[in-house]
Amino acid sequence: MSKKNIEFFFEPGSVAVVGASEAPGKLSAVIMESLLSSGFEGKVIPVNPKYSSVKGLKCFPSVSEIENGVDIAVYALPASLTLRALRDAENKVKGAIIVSGGFGEAGDEGKALERGIKDIVKETGIRVIGPNCMGIFDAVSGLDTFFIPRTRIARPQRGSLSIISQSGSFAITAMDELASAGVGVARVVSYGNKTDVSEADCLRFLSEDKHTKAVAVYIEAIEDGRSFVEAAATCASKKPVFAIKVGRRGAGSAAALSHTGAIAGNYEAYRAAFRKSGVMELDGYEEFIAACKALGSGSEAKGPRVVIITDGGGMGVSIADACAEAGLEVPPLSEDLKERVREGLPSYFSINNPIDLTGSVTDETYADALDKTLSDDSFDIAIVAALWGPPGLTDELPALLSERAQGIKKPVLVCSPGGAFTRSKAELFMKCGFPVFQTPEAAVKAASILARRAPRRKG
Amino acid sequence: MDAQAIDRLVIEAQSLGRKTLPEPDAKEILRLSGVPVPRSHVAKDLSGAVEIAAKIGYPLVLKVVSPDILHKSDVGGVALGIRNAKELEEKWAEMVLTVADESATSMIEGFLVEEMAPKGAEVIIGAVRDEQFGPLIMFGTGGVAVELMKDVSFRLGPLSKKEAIGMMTEVKGFALLTGYRGETFKDIEAVAEIILMVSQIMEEVVALKELEINPLLVYERGVMAVDARAVLK
Repeated sequence: MSKKNIEFFFEPGSVAVVGASEAPGKLSAVIMESLLSSGFEGKVIPVNPKYSSVKGLKCFPSVSEIENGVDIAVYALPASLTLRALRDAENKVKGAIIVSGGFGEAGDEGKALERGIKDIVKETGIRVIGPNCMGIFDAVSGLDTFFIPRTRIARPQRGSLSIISQSGSFAITAMDELASAGVGVARVVSYGNKTDVSEADCLRFLSEDKHTKAVAVYIEAIEDGRSFVEAAATCASKKPVFAIKVGRRGAGSAAALSHTGAIAGNYEAYRAAFRKSGVMELDGYEEFIAACKALGSGSEAKGPRVVIITDGGGMGVSIADACAEAGLEVPPLSEDLKERVREGLPSYFSINNPIDLTGSVTDETYADALDKTLSDDSFDIAIVAALWGPPGLTDELPALLSERAQGIKKPVLVCSPGGAFTRSKAELFMKCGFPVFQTPEAAVKAASILARRAPRRKG
Repeated sequence: MDAQAIDRLVIEAQSLGRKTLPEPDAKEILRLSGVPVPRSHVAKDLSGAVEIAAKIGYPLVLKVVSPDILHKSDVGGVALGIRNAKELEEKWAEMVLTVADESATSMIEGFLVEEMAPKGAEVIIGAVRDEQFGPLIMFGTGGVAVELMKDVSFRLGPLSKKEAIGMMTEVKGFALLTGYRGETFKDIEAVAEIILMVSQIMEEVVALKELEINPLLVYERGVMAVDARAVLK
């Protein structure tokens, strides 16, 4: 099989949409709409023998009729028609994204069709993403083959986090959630049945991709474990890679002939593979999103020492407890630092860690406390739990915190538990680029993910 | 390690249609790999056992050899600390009866007469071959309650020495090797070597599906693999 790099998929000069149509509700119509309205600057070429034009663009009966060929073709055809259409593209395209289902996941007939795709890949050298996938959402180039309308699933802004996922629905759900949280992405790939392009191909590409600063991976099953470990290790040596593995059940076999066989299930092998390659494993969806928010913000922690700043003592202690549970350190402030933070504050403020700024807090005291503690060498991460009760807090707080934290280059995580009013204020934090978490636990999970990345765990 | 000799042993077992290797063969694989094992021989009858015993010397261990019995001690198939020929005769008679009673359908291939290893800390070192990822190596606190305690750690092979040490420090039972409650400090270096050897055997002998030493006895100096099993593909 050709080991051609898959880079060309992400910033193609031209894209053919095979099966293009304007009929509302058709996948191809959504894809056409996305490509034409998402800021994608490449050429879009509809292909469908039934039409002479689609969306005002000249429509070709077959990819083979496109004179100079195209970089990639997106196939949104019934499974039974896909093979023939893919063969037509020989020598005309470098890569194909087959979003259609009805292949290996759909019984014997589908399996045979998928083997057919594999053969075409071998014979023609066309690289294939899918089938049974969403394809690519690329915030760098604007390429968007995700066939769910933007009114239903929002696309995140451009950022530095890339996501690769076996599951399309997981990818779009995470994307939608990140879009709401103000977290940007670079490349999102949903590769479905991965007949050709696998997670290892994607990881190899992302490890070299200058637009990607962190990689999130959703895994159901990996076929070639050793090639995954190799690609993941290369990528993780350059940037944080974190993964969620689902389908963990199925422990060792009870009928095993050794103790090892009885204890070691397939999941233990995945965990060992993550460990060997330096991939951080995440426990469940909540932690996955927390990690995306933390690493998507682009800041890196140099260690596990957390300063907690709040105006509600209870929330501060609760965060401190969660930190201890997660293996993070919440060290006390040095006498010298205490002295500096205390300057200009009323004597009843509790200057410890957590720092409780009480109901007398103002925007300025918050910003001061954050600035002085986080810029001190004794801390790596700040968790700011702003509770909106005190009258001294205004809508200026997020911008002020952002301004004062800017030069420090250490992660600041905002924990913002509360109801409707608080949630509306959370938006202000997001606009200023802060990762915002609803609960102490989620904020602490994010902090611990940043800290885990800090001293590279080996051995 | 003598990979060729191990291959021959495995191929012969496969040609006999075996799915598992009985203890003596599994230990032979270890011996051929340089893992210390007690001196032993399989006896088919009592007079043979007495002869072997005279060569090895007392005290001795007597163990049933059967591909069908996973937990030998559960069926009365292990007798420790046999001090002389008279005791050997008694234990032999007792074991034949008990095993026949407890595990009537198991095929008995003989009885292993083995040098009695001195007491030491017990660890388990095992490996399974995962279909996707290849050899997965396990280290843990050994003994009969391994599955109950699950005080184990895993790494994917092939292992580096750093990974082998990492596996050891990760389990709670590591304290038993490092002077817990007045115990002496054990030969951790030697344990790491055995972990690495199990990893290497799995890399080189691809017909092995599982390999397990339980327990590996760990002393102040050196180790001894007193029980082992192997599962074939």
